[in-house]
Amino acid sequence: MGAATPLSGHDTTRWSRRRILHLTGLSLLLLIAFLMDITLGSVRIPFRQVFRILFSMHTDDLTWKYIVEQIRIPKACTAVLAGCGLSVSGLQMQTLFRNPLAGPDVLGITSGASLGVVTIMLSEGSIAALYTIKELGISGSWLIIGAACVGAAGIMLLVVTISGRIRNNVMMLIIGVMIGMITQSVISLWQYFSSPELVKDYLLWTFGSLGGVSGSQLYILAVVVVIGVVICFLSSKLLDALLLGENYARSMGLTTQRARVIIICSTSLLAGGITAFCGPIGFIGVAVPHMARALFNTSSHRILMPACCLIGTLLMLFCDMIAQLPASQTVLPINVVTSLIGAPVLIWVILRKNNLRAT
Amino acid sequence: MTTKKNRVRMRVSWIILGIFFYSSCKQGTHKDASDRNEKRSTGKTHIKYAHGFSIDEYEHFRLVTILNPEADRTDTLRYLLLKEGQPVPEGFSKAQVIRTPVKTIIGTSSMHIAQADFAGVADRIIGLGNLHYVNSPIVRQNIKDGKCVQVGLEGTMNNELILSMHPGVLIAMANPGAGFAKYKTLIDGGIPVLWNTEWLESTPLGRAEWVKLMGALVEKEEIVSKKFDSVEHTYDTLAQLARRAATRPRVIIGMPFKGSWYVPAGGSYMGRFLRDAGAGYKWSDTKGTGSIALNFESVAPEALTADYWLNLGYIDKKGDIPGKDPRYAAFSPFKTDHLYNYNNRVNDIGGNDYWESGGVNPQIVLADMIRILHPELLPDHVLYYYNQLK
Repeated sequence: MGAATPLSGHDTTRWSRRRILHLTGLSLLLLIAFLMDITLGSVRIPFRQVFRILFSMHTDDLTWKYIVEQIRIPKACTAVLAGCGLSVSGLQMQTLFRNPLAGPDVLGITSGASLGVVTIMLSEGSIAALYTIKELGISGSWLIIGAACVGAAGIMLLVVTISGRIRNNVMMLIIGVMIGMITQSVISLWQYFSSPELVKDYLLWTFGSLGGVSGSQLYILAVVVVIGVVICFLSSKLLDALLLGENYARSMGLTTQRARVIIICSTSLLAGGITAFCGPIGFIGVAVPHMARALFNTSSHRILMPACCLIGTLLMLFCDMIAQLPASQTVLPINVVTSLIGAPVLIWVILRKNNLRAT
Repeated sequence: MTTKKNRVRMRVSWIILGIFFYSSCKQGTHKDASDRNEKRSTGKTHIKYAHGFSIDEYEHFRLVTILNPEADRTDTLRYLLLKEGQPVPEGFSKAQVIRTPVKTIIGTSSMHIAQADFAGVADRIIGLGNLHYVNSPIVRQNIKDGKCVQVGLEGTMNNELILSMHPGVLIAMANPGAGFAKYKTLIDGGIPVLWNTEWLESTPLGRAEWVKLMGALVEKEEIVSKKFDSVEHTYDTLAQLARRAATRPRVIIGMPFKGSWYVPAGGSYMGRFLRDAGAGYKWSDTKGTGSIALNFESVAPEALTADYWLNLGYIDKKGDIPGKDPRYAAFSPFKTDHLYNYNNRVNDIGGNDYWESGGVNPQIVLADMIRILHPELLPDHVLYYYNQLK
């Protein structure tokens, strides 16, 4: 509980040479990770061929073309979008609530999306409901995504409405967690009364997946994430001011109320959108801001925002590579990998730095 | 080098064989000892394919043993089939007693309905775990008349209701090792809970053969046995027919979900169906009786060039496939309209007869598959469970 610690020490807000170097290094790593993610997989495709496919040159094997274009590139793009969006919104939540354990899911938005998905998946038994939905012309994956969006938006509306009335951030945090708990228990109740096969479908969804987003879905996810991230970047200044304490921020002429609503809106958009398409992906949102703070040794959001984007994306791509277990035919759920790989990395970063600034 | 390897291999196989003989001898003596305490078994009901149960005939009763393939817990899963009024013989205190012929049954899966239907006793089902998805006209009529009620499944089972119904037997489907505790209240309350693990069988005929257990419960062994023999005969004839087919059309099975694709293992129930239907199946050599989790990428090369796509899950129309994921439209069977799903007999309440009567009619399922993959072999057969997606 120390996110309010004012910027201590020297030079913590400037773009020093060291930081620019870090950022450039991360960008390079990101590029390499992206290419590696596209090259590695169960089916061995030589890098030369991947390169040719990437630049729409002639390839000998149409299967390879399909795998790279239709499976690996969409998956890598989804990893980039999800990694970036989740880390940025995690950073926002940690600052807004001055809580180092906050993440995109603290407001209950993720649970809201889950509730939407549960409603669709577990009500498959009642044919009448399903028939009505089919008549509307929505089916398959869109149905699930739509439901998740409606669920997330519903909870978001609730949270934003409440946040407009409550002036205390800690209270807001508690209310967010409580809303999440209510939603979770409704989900549990529903699972309890559903047949095992349907519950299994839902369980698979909760494992999270980057491989199910393709085609037009990817464009929509991209638009949602870009809007969310742009709002985040624009709110860097607000967040910096909030770090100094609400009273201070107010004295600087900031309407904290409006700042809070903006921040909550962008986080809801990111968390809701990404959960709708990829399922609930944990850990990244909580861990990446800490890694960024440790690496860049600052709490200025003008530096942390791009840093979170890069680190989050990098981590997600890396986790995706591991989840694919190159040379094997199976795939691990992404949620397992993010925590399994991410948590030790975070612990290592903390131990090395020995002090986590501004957490 | 190779001869040396072979010699080692030979030696290892001799050792394995030796262990096998030793253990089987030991088992034999053990059994004899237990039998000596009792009246001798007068014979066994002939079970040819199913590995999950056995029925021993004694003079005044029969002993059903449900074998749990995962753990040696057969001692808790023995059932005495005793005629009404017969005293419980000594030495079987641990076994549950089922009074035969069973007059009332509570079932928990579609397969139990199918087995009862097969034995001609569907009207004896007075309760089901879930009333959705029923196909049997007799059971549906009884549901309408209130003669068959919902009792809940597993965790939500209404014990009080079941106890008050006094069923002759409750057939459970969960893995006996895992689900035993859930039924303790019922067993203590005097209701025999019989575990049906037919879903663990790895062959279609093995799964179907569990009807013989139902036959023993309701004392219609002969009719059931005869019916099963004809199922077996038809199945074998069809499988032989398919073996002669000139081609092995390549198939893909199932529907991927979010980047992973569960395909049946070669040693599974579906793997056996595919082999008997003369299909070319890339994973036919994989071991295991369930399915294997693959990623989309490793199935895609096969899917792009396969001849047929079968068992597509909850898909009714061809148009729904790109709705799941537009990438599936690139698969060759999609382009050539060779898409067949087992949804031909889905009724108004969403019950799919493939999961019900399909389980005890493997010969019809096999005929459907052969008709799909080798139309020239069965030109007159009309698809029964399967349906071409358009």
